[in-house]
Amino acid sequence: MVSQTEQLLLALMIGVIMLGMGASLTWRDFFRAFKRPQAILIGFASQYLIMPFIGFSLAVALQLPPAIAIGLIIISCMPGGSTSNIFTYFSKGDLALSVTMTTFSTLGAFIMAPLWIFLYGSRFMTNEISVGMGSVIVGLVVMLIPVLIGMVIRRRNANVGAILELIGGILGVVIILALIALWVPRNAPLLATTPWQVYAAAVGVGLIGFLFGFLVSQAARLGFRRASTVALEAGVQNGPLALSIVLLSFQGELANQIVLIPVLYSLFIVITSSLVTLFFRRQNELRQQHAVALL
Amino acid sequence: MATIELDQSLRLQDPAASFVAVPPVAPVSIAYRHLADMVDRTCERYAHQHAFTAVLPNGMFGNLSFVQLQRDADRFAVFLREELGLAPGDRVALQLPNSLAYPICAFGVLKAGCVLVNTNPLYTPAEMVHQFNDSGARALVIVDLFGDKIAPVLEQTGIEHVILVRLTDRFPRLPGFVAYNVIKYWNRLIPACSAPTIGFGAALARGGHLLHERRVQVADYTATTSLDDLAVLQYTGGTTGVSKGAMLSHGNLLANMVQIEDRVAGNVTHGKECALAVLPLYHIFAFTANLLYFFHAGARNILVANPRPLSNLQRAIENYPISWIPGVNTLFNGLLNEEWFADYPPPKLRGSIAGGTALHSSVAERWQQVTGTAVIEGYGLTESSPVVTLNPLDASRPGSIGPVLAGTEVRLLNDHGEPAAPGEPGELAVRGPQVMQGYWQRPAETAKALKDGWLLTGDIAAIDDDGYLRIVDRKKDLIIVSGFNVYPNEVEDCIAGCPGVAEVAVIGLPDAKSGEQVKAYVVAKAGAGLTAEQVRAHCKQYLAPYKVPKAVELRAELPKSAVGKVLRRELRAEAARTAGEGEVVHG
Repeated sequence: MVSQTEQLLLALMIGVIMLGMGASLTWRDFFRAFKRPQAILIGFASQYLIMPFIGFSLAVALQLPPAIAIGLIIISCMPGGSTSNIFTYFSKGDLALSVTMTTFSTLGAFIMAPLWIFLYGSRFMTNEISVGMGSVIVGLVVMLIPVLIGMVIRRRNANVGAILELIGGILGVVIILALIALWVPRNAPLLATTPWQVYAAAVGVGLIGFLFGFLVSQAARLGFRRASTVALEAGVQNGPLALSIVLLSFQGELANQIVLIPVLYSLFIVITSSLVTLFFRRQNELRQQHAVALL
Repeated sequence: MATIELDQSLRLQDPAASFVAVPPVAPVSIAYRHLADMVDRTCERYAHQHAFTAVLPNGMFGNLSFVQLQRDADRFAVFLREELGLAPGDRVALQLPNSLAYPICAFGVLKAGCVLVNTNPLYTPAEMVHQFNDSGARALVIVDLFGDKIAPVLEQTGIEHVILVRLTDRFPRLPGFVAYNVIKYWNRLIPACSAPTIGFGAALARGGHLLHERRVQVADYTATTSLDDLAVLQYTGGTTGVSKGAMLSHGNLLANMVQIEDRVAGNVTHGKECALAVLPLYHIFAFTANLLYFFHAGARNILVANPRPLSNLQRAIENYPISWIPGVNTLFNGLLNEEWFADYPPPKLRGSIAGGTALHSSVAERWQQVTGTAVIEGYGLTESSPVVTLNPLDASRPGSIGPVLAGTEVRLLNDHGEPAAPGEPGELAVRGPQVMQGYWQRPAETAKALKDGWLLTGDIAAIDDDGYLRIVDRKKDLIIVSGFNVYPNEVEDCIAGCPGVAEVAVIGLPDAKSGEQVKAYVVAKAGAGLTAEQVRAHCKQYLAPYKVPKAVELRAELPKSAVGKVLRRELRAEAARTAGEGEVVHG
């Protein structure tokens, strides 16, 4: 699937992107996120109440075979991925809220992920599933340290910060496009032989996650900008974590089947998030205050 | 017969009326020979402190210290005189948004002994042609964002030289390069320019070269300039609609600078303030408040080119210790509606100055609540450089435009041009050192506006017993419903206090029964679910029946001027157009 060098390169580039994201943030942005904790709470609830339920419901409704269903359950119980931060940045959403939610859901994953995987998964399979917590911590650190460095740089010199932010942004787009361009041809045989139910589940779990995250936030009157942020946070799961859990817990042919949905999800979520981001960006721009006409 | 100003000067001798330090008739003393002299001495005084900082929406910035500004302005002056061959008194049009180039060019023009013609960058080519021909401008300094307008304009005007400015000129090299290319290739805001132009950087370099080569003493250019000499042609639509140039002399502008200083003295620490320049400097309010007054006070002016959308201001406000904000009602209202601003208002803020249009009392109250500081309302016109009255920061009165500035006299006139009865509102007339010399080459218009040295403002005002003035309304905006005077400001102020209302404008429409009827245009806050009936119900609670708008129209936005003033006349014109089509929605 992905080679070691590619993985390292990807991690490095994500680091640079997160540095750029950090350079667009201030402490005040985070204080503001905490000033209205309902958004963080709703984000957490979307992540660990709604998403696992969506995964489970899809597995039942589409009558997925047990191994495939377990893959779906695992991906739906994952914390938010740091890609949600990048998409939130591009959609002009509340980046500090996104980073906060990702951090909380990642920390929450220690209890929530095994709990929901066990509760929903036991209907399909009784194997013991080990959730590798080491990688969760590494992932969080990899994400937060460059964000912090970016924030410090920005505070020290806004010019350097703005340039970093720009570089991070450009790299973000490059990576998103590269992921799509590299993944599709490489996995063409897999894509050709996968039944439609599996596609529906892999694509649907993200899309329905966006939808519910958005609707719940709107119902809670968080405002469009926060609702779009929560939506992206809910729909975008930590795909690499799901992959590592599957590979740690299962072997051989079984692992290959279970890993199918996490793999497909990771591919399609980049595409669906990009489209949703374009929509949110337009809407967030339209909702900005143009009260004073100057220049 | 006792005139109002006589009444007032009597009251001023009353020791209890200590709100004005200087009696209105005492002359304003100006310690400078002309504006260029003020610029030079101010630059020497604050030398290496920051004078101007331009901030882009992404936080990128460029600084200009007082000495850098002086050096660049000198070079620009030399370029105008030596390279372009301009003569003293020649007009130079400046068509720039807020940027580091603005103070360099404006002060450069004045140092060259030339006359500055402030031009709105958003002008259409037709408006530019009118203004350049009317003023007889020989050179134009224009931002590259509007470079495509130059070629069609050049053919029809006497402009001989065009200097092209980048928004990022005088930025540090790398950020400047990056920002310029983002604006050019990502935002695609820089159109191709087919006309022959000179780059601003090249002009400064050439000026610097000639300065040394010819051993120019820049001060020689203004050796014979006096306070009575023309400094700025400031174009204004006025009441007649035809754009004409108010002639503001060095003395007019310096007097107003000193008058403002006198009013805010105790609350501005020289060399320590940081003023937000979000209103465009080409507008007389920001020109005098930011470019002259706060500059002279040694403040650091934070320049924002385009506060649209308002989130563009976030970096400027967060990254710098803003202590003063000159603004207009729509700006203050808009900022209060921005979450980042309301959550963390500028911690060093000392005061804000509202002008341009009436400050709604609901906005002023919320501003005080949110920022913990007052917004003081003032009043002025282009023709008076512009400030006539201004509230003192520590004795500001809501709904009042404050007492007159030092050295300024006011009168209230009735419909016959005679002093109104004591206590009665009347048309405000102003006399003082800040009142313009007249309209450029328009003696007939000048005679209408200036009568015996008194500037007729066209605004209806009232004076409280202690000398605080209130603007009752624009004379021409007055609505007469069945013989009752309805002042749109009062109705707007009431509607602005209705929950869910973001913005409002009120005009009068012809009405068969009542002569005129009141119509309100309301912009609702997003998600407020406001209805026209709610607005009317709110008005009925607070206003006499004849003042309650007969029609309330909810709309997405209101037409506004360059400084964010709601344009009632556009609404009236629009209403006149649609009247025949029966599109007016009654609430």
